[in-house]
Amino acid sequence: MATPAPAHTVTIYSTPTCGFCHMAKDMFDEHQIAYTDKNVQADMAARQEMFAKVGGQSGVPVIDIDGIITVGFDEEKIRGLLGI
Amino acid sequence: MVYDTIIIGSGASGLSAGLYAVRYKLRTLIIKGEFGGETARAGVIWNYPGVAGIDGYELMKVMQTQAKDGGAEIVSGKATKIVNQGGCYEVAVGEKKYIGKTVIFAVGTERGHLNVPNEAELTSKGVHYCFTCDSPLYADKTVAVVGAGDAAFKGALLAAEYCKKIMILVRSDKVRAEPATFDKVKARPNVEILYNTQVTQIVGTTQLEKVVLNTPYQGSTDLVIDGLFIEIGARPNTALATALGVELDAENYVKTDPLMQTNIPGFFAAGDTVNLFGHFKQDITAAALGSVAATSAYQYVNNHPNVCELHAIESH
Repeated sequence: MATPAPAHTVTIYSTPTCGFCHMAKDMFDEHQIAYTDKNVQADMAARQEMFAKVGGQSGVPVIDIDGIITVGFDEEKIRGLLGI
Repeated sequence: MVYDTIIIGSGASGLSAGLYAVRYKLRTLIIKGEFGGETARAGVIWNYPGVAGIDGYELMKVMQTQAKDGGAEIVSGKATKIVNQGGCYEVAVGEKKYIGKTVIFAVGTERGHLNVPNEAELTSKGVHYCFTCDSPLYADKTVAVVGAGDAAFKGALLAAEYCKKIMILVRSDKVRAEPATFDKVKARPNVEILYNTQVTQIVGTTQLEKVVLNTPYQGSTDLVIDGLFIEIGARPNTALATALGVELDAENYVKTDPLMQTNIPGFFAAGDTVNLFGHFKQDITAAALGSVAATSAYQYVNNHPNVCELHAIESH
């Protein structure tokens, strides 16, 4: 049987020391929602990709859920986007 | 379900209260709010006894596990309203409502803002409030830090790992950072402390471009920087409590007795939202206050076992 496609496509742009980034990732883990984690401290290409998505300098986390960008760990908005 | 205690907040005080409450076998609900409070974004905690240096977020996760494993229920979301009906408390989290015999109000503080032009507009666009999150994005860049307390200086130390140059803008001629932190900052060649210096304006259209100072630096009041980190302390987050009639002290912290009882029976407060240790706001003090509040809640529930049952009869 083929693996079902994930319900959402999620990318989290984060830094290793960022508590809010950990909170966001923990929430996705808790709900078993797969995501791609990009460390924008070490990965310059990912950092530029993040800046392009938000239109310039940004704080982290930046969370891309199906093309909708959220800057910061806005739990209520994220839960709404994911329907959880 | 009637909880013996509803703890509002999941920082060091709320989670410590949760741990103690479950060990007293209280039916305990923790309403998370912003998980981990100030500790979760503080970086490495070096002064929590018994723990030889731990990331603040990890420390909060351990405390949460301790409370949860003991039986505390933990819900996400922010408490939006508290109603006291006959001594029984109804706490709203969005559309959901929870009933408790007691409340432990441990919501902490909200971050201080400069309240200067463009601060809100350029937040996350060069203006930041979280060193651990965002200072790594300023590798080889120049940033300014506003603040004179330990958090500001610890933040500057972290930023010094990445940034080319850090200027700490201190409003007066006095620094309030712990001497050990201050000494570490002074030893950093890429950190400069500017005393008697304030930001009067933040300038930029879509991105931070510079700040305007109240006094010239190297001949100009314009300070061109890549990032600005604001760490000027915090104010007690008391709106929900004052709506309930809870008394505040002269500095707007929740007023409690040494057992964390407010002026409203069954409503306790703990952590940075109270001022029992003055301005000394640490994990160890927050956790201590939480443990005392839980103990008081336990005694209150023992002395008023039927308070919510009476309320339930009256309201239906």
